[in-house]
This record gives sequence, C-alpha cells and structure tokens, in this order.
Amino acid sequence: MSSSAEKIEDLIGQEYKQGFVTELETETFEPGLDEDVIRRLSKIKNEPEFMLEYRLKAFRHWQKMAEPDWAQLNIDPIDYQAISYYSAPKKKEDKPQSLDEVDPELLETYKKLGIPLDEQERLAGVAVDAVFDSVSVATTFKGKLKEAGVIFCPISEALNDYPELVQQYLGTVVPTGDNFFAALNAAVFTDGSFVYIPKGVRCPMELSTYFRINAANTGQFERTLIIADEDSHVSYLEGCTAPMRDENQLHAAVVELVAMDNAEIKYSTVQNWYPGDKDGVGGIYNFVTKRAECRGVNSKVSWTQVETGSAITWKYPSCVLLGDNSIGEFYSVALTNNFQQADTGTKMIHVGKNTSSNIVSKGISAGKAQNTYRGLVKVAKSADNARNYTQCDSLLVGDACGAHTFPYVEVKQPSAQVEHEATTSKISEDQLFFCQQRGLSAEDAVSMIVNGFCKDVFKELPMEFAVEAQALLGISLEGSVG
Amino acid sequence: MAQDNAVSPYAAEYEELCEQLPGQHLAWLQQIRGEAHQQFSQCGFPTLRDEEWRYTNVSPIEKKLFSAKPPLADADIQIGEYQLSDCWRIVLVDGYFNAALSDLSGLPESVAVMSMAEALDKHDDTIKAHLGQAVSDQEHGLVAFNTSRFGDGLFIQIPAGQALDKPIQLINVMSQTDHLAHTRNLVILEAQAEAQIIETAIGDNNAYLSAAVSEVFVGENAALEWFKLQADSEKAYHFSGTYVKQSTYSRFKHHNFSFGGLLARNDIHCDIQKAAECELNGLFLAQKRQHIDNHTRINHCEPHGISREQYKGVLNQRARGVFQGRVIVAEDAQKTDSEMNNRNLLLSDDAEIDTKPQLEIYADDVKCAHGVTVGQLDEQSVFYLKSRCIDEASARNMLTFAFANEMVTKIAHQGLHDLLLSLVLERFPQTDVSAEWL
Repeated sequence: MSSSAEKIEDLIGQEYKQGFVTELETETFEPGLDEDVIRRLSKIKNEPEFMLEYRLKAFRHWQKMAEPDWAQLNIDPIDYQAISYYSAPKKKEDKPQSLDEVDPELLETYKKLGIPLDEQERLAGVAVDAVFDSVSVATTFKGKLKEAGVIFCPISEALNDYPELVQQYLGTVVPTGDNFFAALNAAVFTDGSFVYIPKGVRCPMELSTYFRINAANTGQFERTLIIADEDSHVSYLEGCTAPMRDENQLHAAVVELVAMDNAEIKYSTVQNWYPGDKDGVGGIYNFVTKRAECRGVNSKVSWTQVETGSAITWKYPSCVLLGDNSIGEFYSVALTNNFQQADTGTKMIHVGKNTSSNIVSKGISAGKAQNTYRGLVKVAKSADNARNYTQCDSLLVGDACGAHTFPYVEVKQPSAQVEHEATTSKISEDQLFFCQQRGLSAEDAVSMIVNGFCKDVFKELPMEFAVEAQALLGISLEGSVG
Repeated sequence: MAQDNAVSPYAAEYEELCEQLPGQHLAWLQQIRGEAHQQFSQCGFPTLRDEEWRYTNVSPIEKKLFSAKPPLADADIQIGEYQLSDCWRIVLVDGYFNAALSDLSGLPESVAVMSMAEALDKHDDTIKAHLGQAVSDQEHGLVAFNTSRFGDGLFIQIPAGQALDKPIQLINVMSQTDHLAHTRNLVILEAQAEAQIIETAIGDNNAYLSAAVSEVFVGENAALEWFKLQADSEKAYHFSGTYVKQSTYSRFKHHNFSFGGLLARNDIHCDIQKAAECELNGLFLAQKRQHIDNHTRINHCEPHGISREQYKGVLNQRARGVFQGRVIVAEDAQKTDSEMNNRNLLLSDDAEIDTKPQLEIYADDVKCAHGVTVGQLDEQSVFYLKSRCIDEASARNMLTFAFANEMVTKIAHQGLHDLLLSLVLERFPQTDVSAEWL
C-alpha cells in the first residue's frame, strides 16, 4: 500500500460528528408490538377512525409477511418485540404554538446539528420541519407558506386538520402490503411531513425535514407524503442523524410522492444516520420505501440522494411514470466504509407514452464495506418511445471492500430505447500521479478525483445540501479549483 | 424452494429407468446417481421463484411428460447441411451414439474421442476424477436431473501438448416425438493441448426435450474454442449447461448461436484461474413464440484474469429473449479485466427482452465494465437505404442482418461460417442485393 492509499483512508475515515445524545424527559412506550400498542399510538395522536383501521389492516398483513432476504446484505436478526414504537419529548399540556415555546434543549440540539431553527425563523431561507424521535417538534415558516396556499406540516397534524386530503392519497403509491417494511411502517408510523402544493403554485421556498433519532431502543418510523397538484413545483430536502450507540436501531420509513399534470417534485436526501463504529458495532438499520407516481402528463419527479450513514441501507427510490411525457430521475452517491452495507438503487416503471428516465448512480466503497446497486428499468407495452439511460459507476478504496451491480432491464415495447452502462475501478495510481505531478498534494488529488466522480450527482443537489454532502464525504472543495 | 406439493413426475419413474443406464458396474457412479436423484426429488425443476429462473418458466415440461425411448433401429437420419466437412464427427441420435454416422478416422492415437457409454468402460478412472467437478453444488435441479440419469454423450480427452488440426463436431439429432434425451459430455484438455469443438443440435420438426450437461476442463496453458449451434425444432425444449474449469494461463472461447427451440435455455459457467482468458460470444434470434434464455457466469477466482463477453439478441413477433450475465471477482482476483456487453433489437410490438447483467466485485484493483442496450433499427439508416432504391422490408432485413452478422464474422472456420451465414440470411431474406455485397 502506498502512502497515497493511506491518505485516502484518512479522508474517508472521518468521525461521526452527530453522535451526541440529548438529555430530555421523554414519554416512551414499553418495547413490544401488538394491536394494543397500535391503538394506544393512534389514540395518543388523536387520529381519525379511518387511520386506526388503516394501521390495523397493515399490521395484520405484516404479521403474515416475511423479511425480504434477496438483498446483498448480511443482517443480524431483528427482534421486533424489543423495540419501542413510540418515544417523544414530554409535552406540556398544549402543543407549542411558536418556536418560543419549544423546549430550549431541543432547539439547542438542532443548533448543534447545524440547523438553528430560531434563526431560520428570522432569516429567509428554508422551511424546516424538525422530527425528533416519534414526533415533529417544530415547523418553521408555516405562516408564509400558508399565504401561498402550501400546506407543510407534520403528518399527524395533517391527519387532524386535513383528514380528507390525507385519506385520499395515503397508501395509494405504496400500499400497506407492498413489502415487509412498508407494512410495518403503515402500522406504526408516528410522524413525518405532509406537503400539499395546490394547483399552479410554485412553492416559494425549499421545504426541508430534519429527522433525529435520540432515544435508545426505539425505532423511527416516519411517513412522508407529498402531493404536487397540477402545474405546481416543489423542492424538498431531507436530512437525518442519530446518536452513537452500540445497539442497532431500526429506521423504517415510507415516502410517497404524487405528481399531477405538469407538476414537478424534486426530492433530495442527505442520509447520515449513525453508521456504526470501526468494528461494525451499532449503527442504524435503514429500510426505506420511497416511491413516486407521475400521474399527470408532463410531470416530473427527481430523486437525489447522498447516502453516507447507516450500518445497513436498503432503499430503492422509484418512479412510476404513468402520465404521458412524464420524467423520472435518480441521482445517487452512496458511500460505505468500515462494515457498512448498502443495497440501493431505483426502479423506473414506464407506463405512459414518451416517458423518459435517467439514472446516475455513484457508489464508493471503502474499508470492509459492501455497496450494491440494484435497479429495475421496466418498459410496459403501452410506453411508446420510452427512453432510459442508466449510468452506474463504482469506486473501490481498499482491497477488502466490495462493489456490486445488479441491474434488471425488462422491455416489452419495440420503440423503447434503453441503455445501461456500468464500470468499476479504483482510484488509479496514474491519476494520482498525474495530479501530484501537477503540484497537488495527495490529499487534494484524491479529493479532486472523488469529487469529480460524484460531480454528476452533486450538481443536482440544492446549494445548501451540496455543501453538506461534500463535507460529508470528508473532502473539501479546495483542490478541485486549481 | 417450496416444492412439497408433489414430487416431479419425472422423479417417480427413476427406479425403473436406472437399471438400464450405462455404467452399471461402477459402484461410485451408482452412488453419484443415487445422490443426484435424491437432490432432484427434493428440489425438482427450477421455478420462477428462483432468482436465476425468474424469466423462464419450465413448467410446460412437467405438464407434457417426455420419456426416454430406446433408439430406433431403422431411423432415416438426415443431417444434411449441418454436417461439416473437414471435421472429425461424432453423432448422437436421440442421445445415443450412432457409429454409422460418425467419422473419427485419422484421429491421433493419443487422443480419446468416444461416446460416454464406451468411455465408462475404458476410461472410468478419468471420468471418476472429473465427473461433477466442474458443476457447483448449488446448481439447479436440471443438473441433478441429468446426473442421475444421463445415458450417452461425448467424451474427449486430449493429452498434454497435443494440438488438433481439425475441429471435432458433435451432432445431436433428435428424431422421435416426445423423446427425452439427457446427454452428458466430458471434455478434458490437458496442459498445452489445443482443440476446437463444434456442437450442433438439430431435430425433426416435433416436440422433444433435450437436457444436456457438459463439463469442460481446460488445463494449464491449454486453448479450447467451442462453437455451439442450436437449431432445434420450433416445438422443442432445449436445456443445456456448460460448466468450465479453466486452469492457469488457459484460453477458452465459446460462441453460442441459438436459433431454434420453443424454449431454449443455455447456462455457461466458467471458473477461471490465474491469468486465464475467457471469451463468451452469443447470438440469439427468436421469432414466433420462441423463448430463448442465455445465462452466463464468469467467476474470476484468481488474479490477472481477462474476460470478454458479448451477446446480441434479435426478437421478432411474439418471441421473448432473456440475457443474464454475471461476473464475479473474488477477493484475491486483483488485476482482473472484465467487459460484458449485451445488445438487443426488438422488431415487433409483442416481442420482449429481459436482461440482467451483473457485476459482483470483492477486489479493488480491477477494471470491470458492462453495458446493455435495447432498441430498434435506426430510422435514418433505413431511410438512407430506401433512398438508394431498396424497398423497406429489404432495408430492414439488411440492417438486422448486419447487426447479427457481427457475431458470425468472428467465426474463423469456413464451413461453419458459411452455414451460419446462410441460416441468418434465411431469417432476414433480402432481395437480390445480398449476393453482391456478401
């Protein structure tokens, strides 16, 4: 191993900075899951009757299902009865009406994470919904968004305030019985964000949700539902962190997006759950079902994700392209290090005519990590002139890691054009030498090469996130300028 | 897999069948057959629930029961154009060796080429040492099915340093309706040996089932080129598994031409050792209700291996094509260089292609790439030809032919090349232009 290779490892092997625990009085359920737990949960949330029905239906279905085992992952068995399905900071009698009433400990936590909620309130910028364990603690800019007609609130609140709207869309993209983890989520989800953009509205600011797992022995089950009505546009960001703990914690989320005629949704994620320590102890198990339906003509959904955290990532943000001329995009950077395992990718289901999809996936695998791209491009018989382009590249750092590519292409339409390309390589000594010979330090050279490798994805991220993502990869932008 | 519902009807007839199989005097073989039968009884044929079989449904062979019939004494066998001159030839009719049609004259003394049944008498030690060694334990039920009851087949052993100057042609002819043949081939090239094998599968226009397994051992620095032409009847079921073990510095090339069969499935699995080279080429042309599935796996076990893979498919009418290619690079297999490419042409509204190229890499210093395309003929090219007074149908056939012909041009053996060319041209007939420029 050359010295430059060691430098790469230094760069990749940065410490997890968000691993602190916030000391708070919490209200937490005893571990265990049965119908009573779900009833209690529903009652605490003061949910309408149909939600309880929905949850119980999902739970009964879930009990009959088995965990999926097809992914290229080694997962220690999960004991679903050892998890607490609800944990929330203890509330005063009423919900906080404004940020002034939010527990200062919580505000401090988010400040430490780089999301000062109170400042966000004053400075124009991004509207944030902060979800702490099982509940949403604060949502900023509600008023301003309301003026524009945009609904952005915790889903638990939406269930009380707009039950018809939620009932109309919830579970229509990801049905309760879709898969094991989606069924579990449907039964026990606690909070998440709800977004509705009315007809013809371009959301005046970026919307963002910040998820934080704090309590021990709990799982986080959040549910996000975004509806973009005709001719609307929204950009949504999602970030997540958790404390460092030796036990694995479960995170099973469901995200549903609906885009009507001419609507556009841009969904960006920076996933930085605690990945476990150097020896693979602890870390979050991240099982996420994300799916978008482009229901209207000319609609567009774009998924961008930077996956650096979690001990295990199992996640396939997908697009069902129903409307004619609709577009689906997927841009992903997945970095795995130490003992992390990621099995991630996308599904593009072409149903409407002239639909197109674009997939760019960049996997970086270091240490003893395993990184898998798994994708499906399916062109139905009805999808005349469908078009897909897929590019997935893997970069290997170190000789004990693995990078795998499992694309599935199923085409039933002769006018479709589908292309898939994949490469796997390591940072070559030649590339490093070339940069160093031009006067760059080995560190800068690696930074430049890795940045260049991920550039196609980073350029899709909103500004704030692009910066965070680059910092997350442990590589400064300096160096790529020269 | 859940197969508790019913034991395959094929498993039930084993008791009766096993007493007629060759190699009765070999206790070790009886044991292997018994174990394989047990495995098959448990797992049965693969189902759509098996990941490696998700696009190919073999249940029709269970609904329509095929059975191994004795050879016909007075069969009138037509090989015709498929018989290549300038080759040693071994012919199996309905899976049984046919001496009258075979021609092994002039074969060097040291080279053993014979039917499997004969080899079980003469070379039982060699067979014992190799049988089942190239197939991994996790293979699907069809391999166990073959092992438990294989009858005849081809046995080739080429001693160290021997290079054959002509190819050996293996012709499998199927003549009886509803017949079931399970041939087993064993090909052993010792160090520095060189050979070419042309495998041809043909049959009369009726339904039959051919379930063959070939095990191939390519010794150190040896070179083997294997051509396979599958032109079975359009009612036939064709399953074929070729399992290759390549030693250090060996070279193996496989050219797979799949034109026939109602349901055809080819498995080609290569385990390659240090600095070995492996090249897999394929062309599949499917029309009407044909279903052709190609399943390849290249396992780079040691460093410096090179693999190249190119498969092309043309699907017409209601045909369905499947390509599943997998390249595995083991932890120690540094400096592996691998490329895989699959290109498909869909010619009709009802055709379907499912393709699944996979890379599984556990080493870091490697260069691996794969690519897949699915599309149709370039309209501009069609327009260009039409502007040169070529009618639409001919223009399309010409372009399709050119797409397919790339794989045919890789064939150096003149006789085989011409045969393939005529078969491809038959599929895509062009007006008188063809003669001029070919």
